[in-house]
Amino acid sequence: MKGAHDAALNLRGMTAYIDDLPEPANALQATVKLSESARGRITRIDALAALALDPSVRVITAADVPGENQLGFTVADEPLLPEHEWEYWGQPLVLCLAQTRALARRAAELVRVEGEPLEPVFDPREAAARGEFILPPRTQSSGDVEKAVARASYVAEGRADSGGQEHVYLETQGAFAELVDGTRVRIVSSTQGATVVQRAAARVLGLPMNAVEVEARRLGGAFGGKEDQATSWACLAALGAFVTGRPVKLYLDRKTDMRATGKRHPYSSDFRISADKDGRILSFEADYYQNSGSSCDLSPGILSRTLFHACGAYRVPNVRITGYMCKTNLPSFTAFRGFGAPQAFFVIEAAIDALAAKMGLQAEEIKARNLVEEGDVTHYGMPLVGVRAREAWDRLTAQADWRRLRADIDAFNAAHPLEKLGAALIPNCFGISFTKLPMNQGGALVHVYQDGSVLVSTGAVEMGQQVARKIARVASSALGVPLDTVRVERTSTLTVANTVPTAASTGSDINGAAALAACEEIRGRIIAKATELTGLAAAELSFREGRLLCAGSDTGLSFRDLVAKCHEARIDLSAHGFYATPGLFYDAQAERGSPFAYHVYGAALVVARLDVLRGSYAIEKAVAVHDIARSLDPVVDRGQVEGAFAQGLGWATLEELVFSNEGRLLSDTLSTYKLPDAHFLSAGLDLDFLPESENPRAVLGSKAVGEPPLNYGIAGYFAVLDAIRAARPDARIPYDLPMTPEKALSALSGGLVGTRKRGNA
Amino acid sequence: MTKRSLRFLANDRVVETDRWEGSPALDFIRKDLALTGTKEGCREGDCGACAVLLGERKREGGAAYRAVPSCVLPLAALENKHLVTIEGLAAGADGGLTPVMRAFLEENASQCGFCSPGFIIVLTAWLIEGSHLDEEGALEAVSGNLCRCTGYGSIRRAAARLIKDFRDLPPEPEARLDALAAAQVVPASLPAFAQGGLLEKTAPRPLFTPVGFAVGGGSDLYVRNPDPIPRSGFAYLPADPSLKAITRRGATLEVGAAATVREFFASEDVRSAVPGIERFEGKFASILVRNVATLGGNAVNASPVADIVSMLIALGAIVRIERPEQSGTAREIPLERLYLGYKKLDLAAGELVTAFLLQAHGRPLFNFEKASKRSTLDIAAVNTAIMIELDENRITRGRISAGGVAATPLLLEGASELITGREVTGSLAVEAARAAASEVSPISDVRGSAAYRIEALKRLVLAHFATLFPGDAGIQDAVTKEALR
Repeated sequence: MKGAHDAALNLRGMTAYIDDLPEPANALQATVKLSESARGRITRIDALAALALDPSVRVITAADVPGENQLGFTVADEPLLPEHEWEYWGQPLVLCLAQTRALARRAAELVRVEGEPLEPVFDPREAAARGEFILPPRTQSSGDVEKAVARASYVAEGRADSGGQEHVYLETQGAFAELVDGTRVRIVSSTQGATVVQRAAARVLGLPMNAVEVEARRLGGAFGGKEDQATSWACLAALGAFVTGRPVKLYLDRKTDMRATGKRHPYSSDFRISADKDGRILSFEADYYQNSGSSCDLSPGILSRTLFHACGAYRVPNVRITGYMCKTNLPSFTAFRGFGAPQAFFVIEAAIDALAAKMGLQAEEIKARNLVEEGDVTHYGMPLVGVRAREAWDRLTAQADWRRLRADIDAFNAAHPLEKLGAALIPNCFGISFTKLPMNQGGALVHVYQDGSVLVSTGAVEMGQQVARKIARVASSALGVPLDTVRVERTSTLTVANTVPTAASTGSDINGAAALAACEEIRGRIIAKATELTGLAAAELSFREGRLLCAGSDTGLSFRDLVAKCHEARIDLSAHGFYATPGLFYDAQAERGSPFAYHVYGAALVVARLDVLRGSYAIEKAVAVHDIARSLDPVVDRGQVEGAFAQGLGWATLEELVFSNEGRLLSDTLSTYKLPDAHFLSAGLDLDFLPESENPRAVLGSKAVGEPPLNYGIAGYFAVLDAIRAARPDARIPYDLPMTPEKALSALSGGLVGTRKRGNA
Repeated sequence: MTKRSLRFLANDRVVETDRWEGSPALDFIRKDLALTGTKEGCREGDCGACAVLLGERKREGGAAYRAVPSCVLPLAALENKHLVTIEGLAAGADGGLTPVMRAFLEENASQCGFCSPGFIIVLTAWLIEGSHLDEEGALEAVSGNLCRCTGYGSIRRAAARLIKDFRDLPPEPEARLDALAAAQVVPASLPAFAQGGLLEKTAPRPLFTPVGFAVGGGSDLYVRNPDPIPRSGFAYLPADPSLKAITRRGATLEVGAAATVREFFASEDVRSAVPGIERFEGKFASILVRNVATLGGNAVNASPVADIVSMLIALGAIVRIERPEQSGTAREIPLERLYLGYKKLDLAAGELVTAFLLQAHGRPLFNFEKASKRSTLDIAAVNTAIMIELDENRITRGRISAGGVAATPLLLEGASELITGREVTGSLAVEAARAAASEVSPISDVRGSAAYRIEALKRLVLAHFATLFPGDAGIQDAVTKEALR
């Protein structure tokens, strides 16, 4: 199958992920010793017993870091290995190396780190009350909320909490590092950002960036978990190699990965919403207490996206929202597909749910009346163009026959006391671009070889989102060559420098556009040669499937022929392409601007079935209508929408991080942390794309697809809530995502005394 | 202790090794055999990335191939077997792509690719077994495999292609294996091994003296200890056929402790002794784990939430304990008495659980209920089983068990006593449920709070009655009222 080489290799077991790479005979295996309480001051590290275990054992501490022991670039609050204090349960304290992984693990168990306990804090509101912030709070506002509330017919307020989410990339964090000529370092990292790792490793090792080579091959999943948090593992492997002079491989076992790494940020939020007598939203206010965890990491960017998505897909004329990045003694929460937007969507959806209850209306009625429309200006001052929220909503409600479905559900519920159906709809409006302006750039290096085959290197890391397949399509279409003559290489700092992480759904937008620029440059040179050889007008010439056409008819010349002619004529068949997303600006002081290139729209419906006796529930049906503009590859986009929805649904109705009162992660294995399995998702997603339309703000008229559909899963939470209310119309149920069978049962039995409190952790 | 070497067929070549037989098979496959297509995803049998095919010759001829989780499998389990990895499958197909792989490719069912080899393995095993080639069967086949990228939509579509292409396979195992080899779903080494080729038969070696480290399937043991330190005295119990047998002797059904959960539910004797018990097989872990987990291993692991133990306790299972060193030392105790405290067993050093004895007369009513986050592939917060023998409408013998509500799996003595001798009515269901809830004092942990467990147990006991007596309006009404009280 054309353009699917990678997938074929995966299926044959031939793709080499980090742990599959052959190791030199002198390689050492690495693991880390994790802290065993939430906060403390290190008084002594005793490695004697570990070192006595085997001659190959090496124990490396902060004192061995040759450069600057610091990974934090926004805020310097993240040492590679702590010198004085540990700040969460599961923090890597020392690096252990040995001949085999089992030996390294046993050595780590034998290392004793003694310390004095310090008082931890886990709850973001408590941290806020103490003034423990990563960075100062941020407020965005528009209009006049007090005036709006004063003239509103309905006001609803409340609290909405959402839990964190473990990434469960099937390939855990890992890296391989070795010295080159004893002075430089080469790192193969399971990272979304080769340059991120390069910059940090250079800093930690005290080397210039040109002495650090980082390669990112195919990753076994990432979902944001390897945007910033692959860095420490790569740096630890590099440190090990640097100190011992031997190659080092570090591949975390699942439990260590789950304990040590950050997850999606939990949020605890307060909201107030007001509406006129017809249910038109007049104002929305929210305070978002983001549980940032122990260090800055990407928390400011994530909060930024929360604020920008505060109003969901709704038109709200008066807004005042504040976000707090609360520093706690939990793993540093980090990027996870959606990047703060799903947390914001949950709050506005909860607010509308509360408003609907006040008004005695279906929440869906309020949603339909308040969708964003063409020309609306967001609360941060960005005019919306190409808005498709209503189009998606109307198509969804028509396709799912919503009114009839609602009536059928109500009739079913009236007839079945121990079984209830529930349903919810959610509209989508998701901004595309890194909210941090300098990150909206990318490069590509394209080579056309003498035989006409094409090699494309970009900063886009392939991690299952099939960005390589999309970029191959861009190159194939730009050069007019068959797809199977294009190969997309792994990402390496040697081929493309200063890359941004493959994240924020922008992987194919940015890197595809850079590849397009390079391909167009090479194509121009070849066409010029063709013009010279044939005397035909350049404007008439084009390549299609490797043939040179003139005004649409075959000239008898092939791409390959012309490439050979160019080479003979000493014409450069390589080009570097660069892309910087145009039209972005943001005034951080005024909190005004246009931080996004465009928005992605859509809508989804979820129906849940609740077993009133057992408190268990299942997803009965899910329908989505989604905007992919003019897709680079609809098959890939389908996989992205289905996968994102599955993760969103998991976050909303199943996946639960559980910490002990002392801050230890209890859900630290796949037997205690449950993500959707095939049974859970057996209803599938009935997915329809909006009619094709060209998006002028992205490569070849396409739209980004990775993150926006994750929001659809939130409808799962409200669908189960709807079913619970059908059984218990009087139940007072807090907005506390994820829904779990335990919470459902608590609501069904009128509240359980002593139900475990998660403390938003 | 003399060092023993293990022989087995790895794809198409014979491997002989003297590595410690308690090593996880996954490490041997990835490191020693350098077959890295088999992935390490969780090292506790919970994601399926490490799945491989394992073929075992049957006494009556031919071979049975099953998908197994290699991360929780001792190397010993490979002895005299045929290990087939993803590389082995690929090598047998033109262009390196079997029809199962091709279906995945056509449907774009491999994204990051890390889980893909595992999915290919379990769906290949599903075609080899061939008994449930429908949508539900496919879902069951992948029940032990997690994918974080696709949301399973494309995987389901790939399976649908396979159902269409292979629904007319011959039903006889040997002919089916030949047909699958002809279609390049499996390499020729499978039928060759099944017919007695490629690996010469060796006489079964005497079982090691089970001192210290006797292992059933390994699926609990390696979860607790993913890096066992090599030591002597390792005994892989399923290698002893006498420990695997399920036999009916008069009114007693004897189930060998090393019988797998899969074999237990598949047994005609078990199914006739406990009508309908097979409905609950899918509640236990995944098909991958059921292929290796043994009843004895699950029992001695002493997890308070072991599903199979809960079932066996309700069924009144008696456990036989022997000292393999000394014949004639067998003792038999009710299974619930095996548990003295959290992970504490009435089992002395040198003693081994060898069998479970079940009554096989009459046709008891049986039901099993479980509260967990996921309806499949999950460990229970609470589970409970009920067994009822009826005379007309009177319960002559009733036993209700519960897991997850104490330090050990329990027989709910109060509730069991309460229902025995009583007429089945709605009020009895409610009384039993309340009695069950009042006789337990669970703790809160990662799987649920104490209050949740008590409420869940009450409701699951109600569910026993609602399920066992679906046509009884009195029971249904009483259960509904109690549930919505």
